[in-house]
Amino acid sequence: MEKLKKILISYAVPIAFSILCVSAVLVAQIPPIFLASEIVRRLSRNTFLVLSLIIPIIGGLGLNFGIVLGAMAGQAALFFVVDWKIKGLVGILVACLMAGAISVVLGWLAGLTLNRAKGREMITSMILGFFANGIYQLIFLFFVGSLIPFRTKQFLLPEGVGLRNTVDLYGTVASALNNPWMIRIGTVRLFVLPLLIVAGLCLFITLLFKTKLGQDIRAVGQDMHIAEVAGINVNKVRVIAIIMSTVFAAIGQVIYLQDIGTINTYNSHEQIGLFSIAALLVGGATTRKATIWNAILGVVLFHTLFVVAPSAGNRLFGQPQVGEFFREFLAYAVIAFALAMHGWRAKKILM
Amino acid sequence: MRKLLVVAILTLALVSFAALGFKIGLVTGTVSQGEDEYRGAENIVKKYGSEIIHVTYPDKFMQEQETTIARIVELAYDPKVKAIVICQAVPGTVAAIRRVKEFRPDMIFVAGVPHEDPEVVGSVVDVALETDTPGRGITIVDLAHKMGAKRLIHYSFPRHMSYKLLAERRNIMEQRCNELGMEFIFVSAPDPLGEQGLTGAQQFILEDVPRQVAKYGKDTAFFSTNCGMQEPLIKSVLQHGGIYPEQCCPSPTHGYPGALGIEIPADKKGDYNYILKAINEKIVENGGAGRFATWPVPVNMVFTEAGVEIAIELVQKKIKANDMDAIKTVLNRVISEKISGYGIKTITRYPNAGNYYMITMDSVIFGVTQF
Repeated sequence: MEKLKKILISYAVPIAFSILCVSAVLVAQIPPIFLASEIVRRLSRNTFLVLSLIIPIIGGLGLNFGIVLGAMAGQAALFFVVDWKIKGLVGILVACLMAGAISVVLGWLAGLTLNRAKGREMITSMILGFFANGIYQLIFLFFVGSLIPFRTKQFLLPEGVGLRNTVDLYGTVASALNNPWMIRIGTVRLFVLPLLIVAGLCLFITLLFKTKLGQDIRAVGQDMHIAEVAGINVNKVRVIAIIMSTVFAAIGQVIYLQDIGTINTYNSHEQIGLFSIAALLVGGATTRKATIWNAILGVVLFHTLFVVAPSAGNRLFGQPQVGEFFREFLAYAVIAFALAMHGWRAKKILM
Repeated sequence: MRKLLVVAILTLALVSFAALGFKIGLVTGTVSQGEDEYRGAENIVKKYGSEIIHVTYPDKFMQEQETTIARIVELAYDPKVKAIVICQAVPGTVAAIRRVKEFRPDMIFVAGVPHEDPEVVGSVVDVALETDTPGRGITIVDLAHKMGAKRLIHYSFPRHMSYKLLAERRNIMEQRCNELGMEFIFVSAPDPLGEQGLTGAQQFILEDVPRQVAKYGKDTAFFSTNCGMQEPLIKSVLQHGGIYPEQCCPSPTHGYPGALGIEIPADKKGDYNYILKAINEKIVENGGAGRFATWPVPVNMVFTEAGVEIAIELVQKKIKANDMDAIKTVLNRVISEKISGYGIKTITRYPNAGNYYMITMDSVIFGVTQF
């Protein structure tokens, strides 16, 4: 009985979510094939981004809202790949390498800042994202085409300076990872390559925590002072954790955008942090503990709800726009609920 | 007698729910994002009943593109849906259409007010409808000039200036002002989607208009590219003096009723003769005669309703998507059903963008035009 109670408490969020998802699916009555193909697609599209959050959590840095920085690096790299007209898998590879290089620098800067804000990492990383957004806009609205050379005129504003609000990846790197290896089951399409890349990251994270560096990250996450006494360079380990997270976020954004097919120049990155974090929390992770399975389960649950909630709201209230408000309410209520549940659970476990 | 009545009602019901034999998916914003298209959709649902599936895209459509895509793709899974009309065609529309075409190449798409680039949108949709934004760069300045303006203040912000057509229109306006000997002044306002939000942007307009009027005098025309700024703009131009040639999205219901405190009774909703008269009275009463203008019907409502009519006729193969005159006829029909005596003023094709049609309508000037 005690054991059951413990399980219920520690899995309260995913259990509550599964119930919510199942009831929403039943109410919404949307075509099951549509739901299946959406979820499979979102698993290959969004999981990498969600996984990029795991290392800083284990390193005691909490939820890294700063993955937005990585996402910006990913987009910046894609703009140039499109401009240089590098197509297909090579384009993706070049984009990932460039994005990786930019995000090492960004991650390093973010890591240094977070080391000066110990204990307040989450809010600091969130504000860092806003700050970086300003610089991003400055670069791509005023420097591209003037200081930074850009050849493709169709992506520039009429004066030749600044990127337009849509950059089309169609014909260059759109679906470049999806197309080479696709398994069709009816209208449901399984993109093997992105899923393999996600599996690769899972393997990397698992192996990382078996190495000395991984153990150091875990030790720092458990108690910074003890780790320091044990001779671990705490600040360096934290910076490495943030760099890794930012680099993975950049690659994750490249995977995400090649699937979407168009870049919304000034907005595509904005919500990435919040939605990835929400997915991870829904999967049962906390600000101190997260596993690969939390990420995968989270993507499935959070996105199921995202897909079915509008139709469910529509059927329940009989008005299209109420469906939309219902979805928005659920999406943000999720995050609040998950955070509140953690507080409650943490207290329960302590008692 | 009673039997006759039943037969009459049944025939009426049959006529009003004219059975199409197929369904049309209709995607609009919610009332909080854009009331005109939502109300237009309600009119269409009233006309065709359950053969229209009306869904909405997120209020935060710029950030939640995934949801917009999913909503459009979901419609295509219903084999009875033969066409999808999206108004406004917010970012994500193009991506969604490409995904639908992968498994439903026969699906017909009509997009109203596309936000993405015209060339890209034009390459995927069957018909796109938009106000002639570059053309309005000339018509707005001409109208302001006719109303006595000596200069034009253009409120906008970097995000909007990254929209190709808006940036192009700004340049055309500046050029046209020079040609007419008017001064063109660009004023940067806070972005309503920025950290200050819509309230910050509205506050700025309320404070800035009196400043500009004090600086330049009353023969200054004001224009803003953002929907949320129209209400405070009308309010303060009416209070402090100035000229207001047109909203960003010209319509009698956009900004005017809110700014003038006009309550439209439930039975008069959609009665544009009544609404225009009510606005006219208030404007004249407050001394704004000859200084405020707009288009006689909400253009986004026309696009939503005409978009569905065009989609139906395309599915029934009654018209061809590249037949500009046929598209114009449908648009004129929808407009004249709302207010007689008005229609499309110009219709052009955006170059190299397929069937991307751009229109303008005649203006009504309050205190001058007879209602």
